[in-house]
Amino acid sequence: MSADTVGELEQELEALIQFVYMAPAGLVQARSDGEIVMINPVAAQLMMPLPHDGSLANLFTALEGIAPDLRSRLAAFAAPQGMVCDGMHLPAPGGAKGERRLFSLSLIKLDDSRIMAMLQDVTLQAQRERLLRQQVAWLNAILTGVADYALISLDARGCVTEWNESIGRVTGHGQDVVGNSLAVFYPDDAITPERLLDRLHEAGHSGWSQDDGWLLRADGSRFWGSAMITPQRALASDKPLAAALAADADAPETGYRLIVRDMSGQHDAADAARHAAVCDHLTGIGNRRAFFDAAETELRRWRRMPRPLSLLMIDVDHFKKVNDTHGHPVGDEVLRHIARLMGTTFRQIDVVARIGGEEFAVLLPSADVVIAQRAAERLRAAIDGQPAPTDAGPVHCTVSIGIATMDDATPGVDALLKRADEALYAAKHGGRNQVCGPAVVPSEPG
Amino acid sequence: MNTRPALEFSQPEVLARLLALDATELDTLEFGVIGIGPDTVVCDYNAFESKMAGLSKDRVIGHPLFTVVAPCMNNFMVAQRFEDAAAEGQALDLTLDYVLTLRMRPVKVQLRLLAGRGADRRFVLINRKP
Repeated sequence: MSADTVGELEQELEALIQFVYMAPAGLVQARSDGEIVMINPVAAQLMMPLPHDGSLANLFTALEGIAPDLRSRLAAFAAPQGMVCDGMHLPAPGGAKGERRLFSLSLIKLDDSRIMAMLQDVTLQAQRERLLRQQVAWLNAILTGVADYALISLDARGCVTEWNESIGRVTGHGQDVVGNSLAVFYPDDAITPERLLDRLHEAGHSGWSQDDGWLLRADGSRFWGSAMITPQRALASDKPLAAALAADADAPETGYRLIVRDMSGQHDAADAARHAAVCDHLTGIGNRRAFFDAAETELRRWRRMPRPLSLLMIDVDHFKKVNDTHGHPVGDEVLRHIARLMGTTFRQIDVVARIGGEEFAVLLPSADVVIAQRAAERLRAAIDGQPAPTDAGPVHCTVSIGIATMDDATPGVDALLKRADEALYAAKHGGRNQVCGPAVVPSEPG
Repeated sequence: MNTRPALEFSQPEVLARLLALDATELDTLEFGVIGIGPDTVVCDYNAFESKMAGLSKDRVIGHPLFTVVAPCMNNFMVAQRFEDAAAEGQALDLTLDYVLTLRMRPVKVQLRLLAGRGADRRFVLINRKP
């Protein structure tokens, strides 16, 4: 090869290197087991601050702290090539100043031995998109067929003021529902007095408050539904309509409107996509995104009106040993088993999520340390007492649990997590298979 | 013959010594040296680092370090530390483990972040880990 050709090749190589250096998105090419083959600077920029082993040698290890179900998503992807996840949103720790960030991850299976990942920081974009989504949800609720709805008038305290046919059709309630608080439409474990006041306040403040979840009919049966609350204000009747509407925003609430929509049997693609975005792929419970969204909301509510609020950090004891002894698939079954037990232990209003490889968090709104401790102990005993059914036979496992309760000295979600983490550490240090909390109250007998 | 002893990556008081070296002398060092001005634009880029990164000096000198030359360092672990030191009028001398993406491969290194109180010229030293 002539010196000229070599020179040209060097120039071109250097130009290509700089091109990839300056690409504004993080790019990683790895083997199917996650071993990183090529990685560009933005990928390192975003991944270095994450908790990992400090080496960026394996993609799944490096992202385990923010995307613990990535390996299982790839394993479940049957096609020989294609998009395993497309723009998956991952809450990530922020800088030293603590502000949270949001990453977007796309994972592509190139072939049976290679994968490619693209990682971007979309914190700002996400804020804009959130506003847009809320508006879309609002419009969707209004425009989709009236037959589905119950329109319910509430007074300033959130109690039903009058009956109409739509209430009977959707909820099965008769005239005797008048005077009841809107909590009557919710299962017991899906609502608290504080949450009711939060919803009314949020409706008054932003003009609407919508929640999807399990609702209750008069006969005790549950249905998946959407409940939207909007404020009703006294329009100044002596003004022209335009002026009266403009003044509406400042007028005090005279009551609220509750719109209940029965969504059972509706499985749109949008719902499925949303499910995939907020659920942990392996266990089906909430993922980090669901957890941090819910935690930020609860803390906002707490700051406006303090009330009991507790957090549990749960870590599976000796999990690495389970994986080493029985293999990762059995380890996965153990995690699924624990997630199932969590589902039966906690209330609907509690936020149960998988936030790490073998780490779970549970947010307990309106629960003080006594309630949190009881629930934690119930879970600990259930896991200790019921080995996980796996392909390798029953596998006994235990968890350590740390409790933290919200107070004035805790500035935010990360600080609350840190306190729960410290209690978890104490539980581990104290011998594992136990619950540790701030001021742990001795259990009452029975 | 009076030869100055070669600078060591981890020797104390290295900042003052670095500020006194010219480009040719920086090129004799056995670790990477990137010098930036108060505006983060690269003013020094030694031969060792140029060879490791596969970037020639003229592609690097005169460009902002954290957005063009080394975006992998544009986070709170590196870039933010320089900003904070400058904002607080503090000196900076911090060594940390890092991973650079030289020629798109993950390379374990040690970084040493250096800034004087005046934060005029700051340095990032890069040492390959054994």
